[in-house]
Amino acid sequence: MPHHSVAVTGASLTPFNRRRDGTSWRDWVFDAYSTALAMSDLEPVDIEEIFLASESDFFSLQLNPASILATELGLGGVAVTRCEAGGASGQVAVHAGVRAIRAGGARHVLVLGVDPSASSLSGDAMRALYGFSFDAWTDGMAGVTSTALYALSYQAFAAHHGTTEADLASVTRQNRANAMRNPGAHLPRGDTAEQINESPMIASPYRRLHCSPLSDGAAALILSRRDAVPSTRRSAPGIAGIGASTDHMHLGARSDPGAFAAKTRAMERACAEADVMPKQIELAEIYDAYAGAQLQGVMALGLSDAPGRDHQDGDFAPDGRCPVNLSGGLMGQGAPVGATGVGQTATCALVLEGRYHAGLQPQTLPNYALADTHGGVCTTAAVTILQREAAV
Amino acid sequence: MIRRTLLLEYGLEPGWMAPFVEGLLKGDAMARRCGDCGIKSFPPHRTCACGGSGAVWVCLPGTATIQFRTTGSDGDFALVQFDGADTSSVVSLQGIAEGQTNGRISAPDDAVPKLVLGPIEENNR
Repeated sequence: MPHHSVAVTGASLTPFNRRRDGTSWRDWVFDAYSTALAMSDLEPVDIEEIFLASESDFFSLQLNPASILATELGLGGVAVTRCEAGGASGQVAVHAGVRAIRAGGARHVLVLGVDPSASSLSGDAMRALYGFSFDAWTDGMAGVTSTALYALSYQAFAAHHGTTEADLASVTRQNRANAMRNPGAHLPRGDTAEQINESPMIASPYRRLHCSPLSDGAAALILSRRDAVPSTRRSAPGIAGIGASTDHMHLGARSDPGAFAAKTRAMERACAEADVMPKQIELAEIYDAYAGAQLQGVMALGLSDAPGRDHQDGDFAPDGRCPVNLSGGLMGQGAPVGATGVGQTATCALVLEGRYHAGLQPQTLPNYALADTHGGVCTTAAVTILQREAAV
Repeated sequence: MIRRTLLLEYGLEPGWMAPFVEGLLKGDAMARRCGDCGIKSFPPHRTCACGGSGAVWVCLPGTATIQFRTTGSDGDFALVQFDGADTSSVVSLQGIAEGQTNGRISAPDDAVPKLVLGPIEENNR
């Protein structure tokens, strides 16, 4: 079977926020697709397959959304697949698209992510639904919320690694400060550590400002076989490696409930494909559903052995050795769940080409960037390593 | 604005987990002991980490020690270790004061199966 290399010829995110402008999730997908297509220098007829990430029909009240969107986008007749893996849905869709091209099944595929996670249902309804996103028949039966489960996992991590309230505030401040330079961000805020530490307690140690919001929005990627990339898009970055894994569905059955072991395995697999070491990653979009999850993620991905210290030392700041969540991450940019992983990968691709927001684009282009996404309390992990294309 | 309201009533059979679910309703902690390695899992695992799938149901004493506890507007929850179990469990805490480190599984008062840990003294078992 052939193994073709894959390039990101098109990448786009709509603003992530709570929409109050009368637009729908179908509109957001159309906007993201149109922008990504224009960037790719391809035509609609070139798209051979669609992979759609959308976490839950409960949000959109639309079953079988992939075929609906194929019609809406004028792509009727293409093959469609809907991808779902909780919070990791978007990255899983990216992987499905990459595999389709690698296997020789298509030359150009469209990867879409969308969810109306902020505006379609009440906060109470969303909280109830997310209680079922962990094992609904065990942990879910306790009535536990997402924030509470993450809090228990983070407490185990903090007990082992000594991270503190100051570390949570450091992550929160950095991500929201980055978001202030991202015009598409949901929560650009300049809270002080005191304001963060005085915000309402949701599930100790997580306070409201340690939590990412649920957002509305969409993202799109066009992936192309490298030898089919238009001549005008030869600078398109490549997919160097992908990796995915799972962990036990019960937090209490894991040997270390504070460790994101699935993320470690996923990263090892992606690094092996890309033939790189974690220390070579120069930009990372990390799944920061909560401030502590970013610390846990940085550790699990091998980017640091002391994530609290390295955060406070600026290693992951915009001018640090490996900027983390330049976009603001989920905490600052927001999280329309199905769009999150697609958007993280789109962000990496845009940065690697020097096309990102002017206030955030690094002057020196990174060589490797990492998009890291997970679902559950890292029950499903999926990571993608992108590589800057050498000057042509 | 398109407004829709759904009222969904689910009736899900618990299948192989029936002893666990029925135990919760009675306030019993029904665990699974792996026939190969002897590990007792609670909540129960259909397939053990050792790969073994032959297991028997065992009733644990029902008492548990709190490992990590979280409190806030979302409620009181904890990761606990039930006595006799080799895995930990996420439970809802009801009536367990801050600083109290143990409790006993408690039958829910609304007939909806759920993992609840209450004070040991109030259960009188």
